[in-house]
Amino acid sequence: MYGFGGTIVRINLETGEIRRSPTPESFAREWLGARGFVAKTIYDEVPRDADPLGPENLFIVAPGVLTGSFAPCGSKLGFGCVSPLTNGHADSNMGGHLGPEIKYAGYDMIVFERISPKPVYLFIDDDTIEIRPAGQYWGMGSLDLETRMKKDLGEDFQIATIGPAGENGVGFACITHDFGRQAGRCGVGAVMGSKRVKAIAVRGTKSLPVHDLPGLTKHTYDIIQRTKPHPNMEPWQKYGTALFVSWANEHGCFPSRNFQTTYHEGWEGISGEKLAEEVLVTHKACFGCWMNCGKYSRARIPGKPDTYLEGPEYETIALCGGSCGMTDIHHVAYANYLCDNLGLDTMSGGNIVGFAMECYEKGIVTKKDLEGHELRWGNIDDFEHFVGMIAARRGIGEVFAHGTREAARKLGKGTITFAEQAKGMEFSGYDTRWYSAQLLSYCTSDIGAHHNRSWAITADIELGQDTPVGKAPVVIYLQHIRPLFDTWCCCRLFWGELDVTPEEHTDAIRYLTGWDMTIEESMRVSEKIWNLTRAHYLERNGGPGRKHDVAPLRQLEEAIPNGPAEGKKVGSENFEYMLSDYYANRGWDAEGNPTREVLETLGLPHVADNLEKRGLLGRPIPGGIPKVRGQKLKPKAM
Amino acid sequence: MVIYLRSGGRLRERLRPDVDQYTRRVEVGGSPTLREILSAMDIPLALVAFGFSDGKVRRLDYRPGDGEVITLQPPVAGG
Repeated sequence: MYGFGGTIVRINLETGEIRRSPTPESFAREWLGARGFVAKTIYDEVPRDADPLGPENLFIVAPGVLTGSFAPCGSKLGFGCVSPLTNGHADSNMGGHLGPEIKYAGYDMIVFERISPKPVYLFIDDDTIEIRPAGQYWGMGSLDLETRMKKDLGEDFQIATIGPAGENGVGFACITHDFGRQAGRCGVGAVMGSKRVKAIAVRGTKSLPVHDLPGLTKHTYDIIQRTKPHPNMEPWQKYGTALFVSWANEHGCFPSRNFQTTYHEGWEGISGEKLAEEVLVTHKACFGCWMNCGKYSRARIPGKPDTYLEGPEYETIALCGGSCGMTDIHHVAYANYLCDNLGLDTMSGGNIVGFAMECYEKGIVTKKDLEGHELRWGNIDDFEHFVGMIAARRGIGEVFAHGTREAARKLGKGTITFAEQAKGMEFSGYDTRWYSAQLLSYCTSDIGAHHNRSWAITADIELGQDTPVGKAPVVIYLQHIRPLFDTWCCCRLFWGELDVTPEEHTDAIRYLTGWDMTIEESMRVSEKIWNLTRAHYLERNGGPGRKHDVAPLRQLEEAIPNGPAEGKKVGSENFEYMLSDYYANRGWDAEGNPTREVLETLGLPHVADNLEKRGLLGRPIPGGIPKVRGQKLKPKAM
Repeated sequence: MVIYLRSGGRLRERLRPDVDQYTRRVEVGGSPTLREILSAMDIPLALVAFGFSDGKVRRLDYRPGDGEVITLQPPVAGG
């Protein structure tokens, strides 16, 4: 088989048994890799009542079809499991260099089963696979450990690590690689930690079999030549994602003080320009990338040691910065470093600290709870102490260690109304009160409120920010196209920023694998995965689906108090309208349950059977399901 | 005076390039801001995150000089 490493590895951590099997080509084509491999394997193999941090959950590492292929930025690597944060399907991915290295060692998926009796790390050197003791590394920070393991094993090993938060089962613990690339979301680091796997170290020196090497080489060369002079290249190289802080602030979607408002006083201090002026050390690229949007930085704060980190990127600035009331880019960079080294997702982490700061402001959390410390807006010392409590699950840190939804459940006192999350996953760095399509995206997502499942902000602008009409089909299209990049495993920035079309990516798959892959087939795979993970969520959490697609009350009914979006809110009626429109356009019933017709159309009849057995199958749609589910945004006529 | 606006992606559809595939030549009177220029061209301001010229970010209140080439960057998600 072309384009893949050729082998799936299963590791029983309890017994130490390592099993290898050939990657079936039919499986590879049907699911394409990473998110697809994870969705299929988790659905088929993890019992519906399995504890996400227990032995029956699986922890999966899987590159995708384009990983390591020299297609534009085929750098990505997927991680998957059942999420301890949402209790549903989880997949999260990272760039860097580990994904290609795994493929060059010959592997398409690594499945960790059961729980190791002692801390271990996975060692792969081409055909050598070993489970090695990691007691000497247990307790170390993610970044510190990567430095240490590079010394111990050699610079040519690519390494992924978890920090103390992952060891301790914090619900939003992440996995770190390349000193700042994270599989951040869904708590994949907690599941890796629950298996007592502290790190993964891989060296791969084999070549990847390519069906048409001259064709793929020319294809990629032409894209490089075409995109080098692209107008968007230089600003991205210079500033990366941080540049959008000012825009988000000016357009009423930047979260400030736990989303209390969307205009952040002092935003200039944490802007992209300030990052470039104050903390940027150098630019950094993932495998196969000529954009270099990664920013390697140094935080300098009097009284604290200088710290080096990758970032902060937009999302971290929005959530550790704006949402925690910070106004100094050094403080945001330091918060980024703290989260990275503790092994906390900066997005959920920043969101949760902001939530806790509002609880402190309201007197719900007190100085006594905080071991004599405070939790003031914009205070980096308070931030540092509190994330330490969370990572250790110490004192009130335990309350917040499982996300805002769970914290609000424990705290009570109406805190759920300002817990900005969907399905237990904290919002990305966009307030949605003037951007209803984005709210719909967050709340209908299979993994919760993550912008990479669907980023609909510009769709809101194009379709009208004050109307819910016409949003649902566009959100569905975005929910198929954006996560497709997490399935192919190449960076979506070349699509979003440099006009490399999805069709050009399927052309690359064709050159690589010899398959007659089209964008239509890839989009069908993406829709199939979406329906499968929806069914998985319902089978684990019960139905109907509609009861899970819930928006935070702040986004629905609390008008933005100031700034460019003053007075804006989505409104419950508008949200319910969008939900109904969304289900109809997906071919689901009015309660948000997938129907047999749509599941069979996508080749998932057994999933329909499973849902039916559990009373979760959607009622047939009078007149049938839409022939095409989802609609690409058509800009209004000029 | 004349300025040159460049953009890719969706903004390019709005910009309607006439110099090369990314660039449009625009004649303006006086010394207008980028905001005023874009408004006159009926380009929604919310779809322009910022301008970029000579290696620097240009906000919408920036007043371009004669012959200046400005890249218009659309808002995107990331990070």
